Amino acid sequence: MRSLIFPSLILVLFLAGCDPVKKSQFNSAGEAPFKAPVWVSPFHEGFEKALFRTSLDVAERHLTGISIIKRTSDSSFHFTFANEIGMTYFDIEVFRNSYKPDYIFDPLNKKSFLKILQRDFSVMFFSVSEGKPTRKYIQKDSGEAVYMYLKQNLYAWIDTRQNTLTGLAGWSNYFDAVMVGFREYNNGFPTEIRILNPKIKLVLTFNLLGH
Amino acid sequence: MKTAKSFILALLLPLGFTPLMAQPKPLSQTDAQEVKKRISEAAKTSLSIEAQFTQTKELSVIREKIISKGNFYFKKQKLLRWEYTYPFPYLIIFNNDKIYIKDEDKENHVSLQSNKVFREVNNILIGAVEGTLLSDSKNFSCNIFDLHDQFQASMIPLNPRIRETLSEIVLFFNKSDYTVDKLIMREVSGDYTNIEFSGKKINQNIPDAKFNIP
Repeated sequence: MRSLIFPSLILVLFLAGCDPVKKSQFNSAGEAPFKAPVWVSPFHEGFEKALFRTSLDVAERHLTGISIIKRTSDSSFHFTFANEIGMTYFDIEVFRNSYKPDYIFDPLNKKSFLKILQRDFSVMFFSVSEGKPTRKYIQKDSGEAVYMYLKQNLYAWIDTRQNTLTGLAGWSNYFDAVMVGFREYNNGFPTEIRILNPKIKLVLTFNLLGH
Repeated sequence: MKTAKSFILALLLPLGFTPLMAQPKPLSQTDAQEVKKRISEAAKTSLSIEAQFTQTKELSVIREKIISKGNFYFKKQKLLRWEYTYPFPYLIIFNNDKIYIKDEDKENHVSLQSNKVFREVNNILIGAVEGTLLSDSKNFSCNIFDLHDQFQASMIPLNPRIRETLSEIVLFFNKSDYTVDKLIMREVSGDYTNIEFSGKKINQNIPDAKFNIP
């Protein structure tokens, strides 16, 4: 039994190290009981498709263009990203735990990279509040409420004045830790979305062009 | 019963005839050579072209379209300016071996040697308007078809480097002046981009400054 404690401790420390969120940016919300908020990803309810001006920075590449995200079923989304002159970079179907590439621009066609991208999208598309959050914090600079869901390896930022989801952070391992920001809501949908994967220095930005 | 049959026949007849009517007629080798010659001659006298364009990216898997619009400028030799105005401002200048890209807030200088995709697209666009693409038998096999008021040149890439991205390039030349009306780039993914030119002005004075790279 004792022999299992050490590996378990290592695992807990490892998973804690994967967490992309710096607690120093939070104030404590105190120990008082709090009401668990109900929230869903902006892509969750009623979302069909959207057109975005898009940029991707990864591995010293800066790609820009236009992307479409389209819901293709209850459990899948399609992401197509092409440069301004129309040449496709990505054409990929994203599921909660997998992806199906239809076309990937050759220099980015790396399995490990695509797996991370799939995980990033999974957090952005499929996250919903499940169960009671373990902890509540207050974001220092913005005053947003931050809820931690330890079982799901997930944080959710809520703007309590507007009652909107403004950020998510999730991870399943050291490399796929991701932070997603939702900003400038218009008619219930963010017009600016930013995916940041700090471990592999990936930044993917979406500026809404239309639904 | 007779009425129902006539109704079904009326519905099916156009379906049967449409492909026949739309089928482009391939030109004989002699006629194709003649058309290529005329396109090349017209290109030689086209020192500049100014036009508006509408670019439609067709996404085959999800059956969606992305539409962009803007202004196109070409000047001999090897000077191209793509000025996108919709859905957002975006500028690309091809000046010989250099590319300048201006986003709303970012400027980018790209060397054609270092960017494979832009290099191929630049070669295709310049080759299309300068009329050299049709005779590039090293990189493309070319078939020419006769349409109602256009000649259609179907270019299949032979070069493995181009085949990585594009499966076919189709150029539509106007029969009256032999300039490019439309360009379709078919990608290996099944998607394609259709660029249609309108309001063409040939040999109008375009200041060199339009193609300057800051």
